[in-house]
Amino acid sequence: MTDERTRALATALVVGALVLGSTIALASPVVDARPAHEIPVTERSDADLASPTAEGWSSVPASDVALSSAPSSVPNAADTSVERVHVQAVRSDGQFYVRLQWEDPTRNTSSEGPEQFVDAAAVQFPADTSSRPPIAMGGQDNRVNVWYWGGDGTTQEILAGGAGSTTPFPSPAVDANAAYEDGTWTVVYTRSVASESANRTDLDSTDTLDVAFAVWNGGNGERAGRKSVSEWHYFLVGTGPQGPPYQTLLWTVAGIAIVAVVGVTAFGVRRARGGDDGGGS
Amino acid sequence: MSTNEETNVNVAEGIDHQVAMVMDLNKCIGCQTCTIACKSLWTESGGSEYMYWNNVETKPGEGYPRGWEDSGGGWTDDGSERQTGEIPSREDYGRSWEFNHSEIMYEGSDEPLRPREGAEWGPNWDEDQGAGEYPNSYYFYLPRICNHCTHPSCVEACPRQAIYKREEDGIILADQERCRGYRYCVEGCPYKKVYYNAVSKKSEKCIFCYPRVEGEGPDGETYAPACAEECPPQLRLVGFLDDEDGPIYKLVEEYEVALPLHPEFRTEPNVYYIPPYAPGQHTEDGESVDVDRIPRQYLRELFGDEVDQALNTIERERQRARQGADSELMELLQHKNPAKQYRLGVFDD
Repeated sequence: MTDERTRALATALVVGALVLGSTIALASPVVDARPAHEIPVTERSDADLASPTAEGWSSVPASDVALSSAPSSVPNAADTSVERVHVQAVRSDGQFYVRLQWEDPTRNTSSEGPEQFVDAAAVQFPADTSSRPPIAMGGQDNRVNVWYWGGDGTTQEILAGGAGSTTPFPSPAVDANAAYEDGTWTVVYTRSVASESANRTDLDSTDTLDVAFAVWNGGNGERAGRKSVSEWHYFLVGTGPQGPPYQTLLWTVAGIAIVAVVGVTAFGVRRARGGDDGGGS
Repeated sequence: MSTNEETNVNVAEGIDHQVAMVMDLNKCIGCQTCTIACKSLWTESGGSEYMYWNNVETKPGEGYPRGWEDSGGGWTDDGSERQTGEIPSREDYGRSWEFNHSEIMYEGSDEPLRPREGAEWGPNWDEDQGAGEYPNSYYFYLPRICNHCTHPSCVEACPRQAIYKREEDGIILADQERCRGYRYCVEGCPYKKVYYNAVSKKSEKCIFCYPRVEGEGPDGETYAPACAEECPPQLRLVGFLDDEDGPIYKLVEEYEVALPLHPEFRTEPNVYYIPPYAPGQHTEDGESVDVDRIPRQYLRELFGDEVDQALNTIERERQRARQGADSELMELLQHKNPAKQYRLGVFDD
């Protein structure tokens, strides 16, 4: 192999490495490359993230979840206003944190007047994680747990088996803290990972955990079935802040392929040129 | 809806018997004793202060809550679909006013006792205002409670079945355990007789004094709702619509002189009214003329076209009584025997 040939191959390898490196570097914070309904649960140690403004949240990957009007028989059910919610989730020291953020230009925290409704948000899990319940508040044989936060400070842990069957637990195991700033609500739900009763979702049982979200804009008269809801998503437990493995693997394969193609091409071009030189002399 | 097996009366499906009330508007003096009887029993505290499960409003007038007749709810004309409604604002119900008691009592102020500010509307704000021009101005009082309807749009409106019509007597109750304060019943009731309690965050309403009706008091006796029993002119009859021996059945079903309010809402109320029978108009000189003082069209708007027939029947029977003939209808409308006026134990087993 001549010096020139070696140099060309080295150049190709460097270019390939740069492409590979930059794609991995660019892709890491972007969660969109995951399967559409996957939301990573970051594992941390010693992190108190119960506050919506806790410092630690800035480095937790966020998923953008689309919302649309829930099918419902209540009047004006299609008239909802919130179209997306950002979701982050962390497991740390036996606590499970879910953080929701959404834009709502009106802050409605009082129902003092008969015509006033509060902003609210909810996270829904299967009560029994072995199967996925019907999305609309579960079913009679397949119930759901709902973590409900209301703008007036209400936090409820709910069991439901179909629309209209919402029943709050007498002593909720979920806490919720909320903050409103610059037209954005941030709510953090906290529950211990350990399940404390038969009707509570076991947050520790599987790698993936079905989850769905709902948001109500009180200022728009939204309550009950008049709400913005997501489809079923799933939490994937066991992903660190350094970047999800699925995505890293994907881009690594792509990078290697690029390097190989560049290398083989350069080598082929070099060889072909070498052959011409020999023939012409 | 089904016809009760034992009577010819339509009661709601699955309901054994239907409580009912007849109010004779010709007897109402607007004293609000019924209002206070109800309030002191049920709505004195804990977020219910602003509520008047029983109110008496002057008609024509805005009513309580203000403009309730135009607030939507009820059913479409064929009774098949609910109409959307609006939830009245706190202002429409009327806020409680703060008075300058402390200035006058303790600070020596000699200004008159009066609300400090914000006294711009309240229940009965337009009392006795009515309509028309002297000497033919007119008004009458309209006492209102929940109508415990046969086709209740409030019940249909609730996505949780928290508000329900109970089987034994058709009284409509808001289950305080099940209610989550969504207020679809508040907007769905065209009479605006369900109220939201901002303290308990649940909706509440007239319970037809069911503990009294059931004889749950200390003496174990059955009593009519407090609004009826406490009424000084005793203008209310209480019983069951399907009690064919009772005065309510006769007034509603036989003589057809007791009419539901706003039948066009299609909720089929079980509170009925004997329409007001006002004297005719006067000339400037004070002579009576044969012209309705209360425009008949206004009464039709309130009670439907059946009001014409009802008033004709009353007029006919009055003439009979004047001429010395017996008139069961006039007897019924004058009856003072409480045993007949309040017939509540008739279906007790």
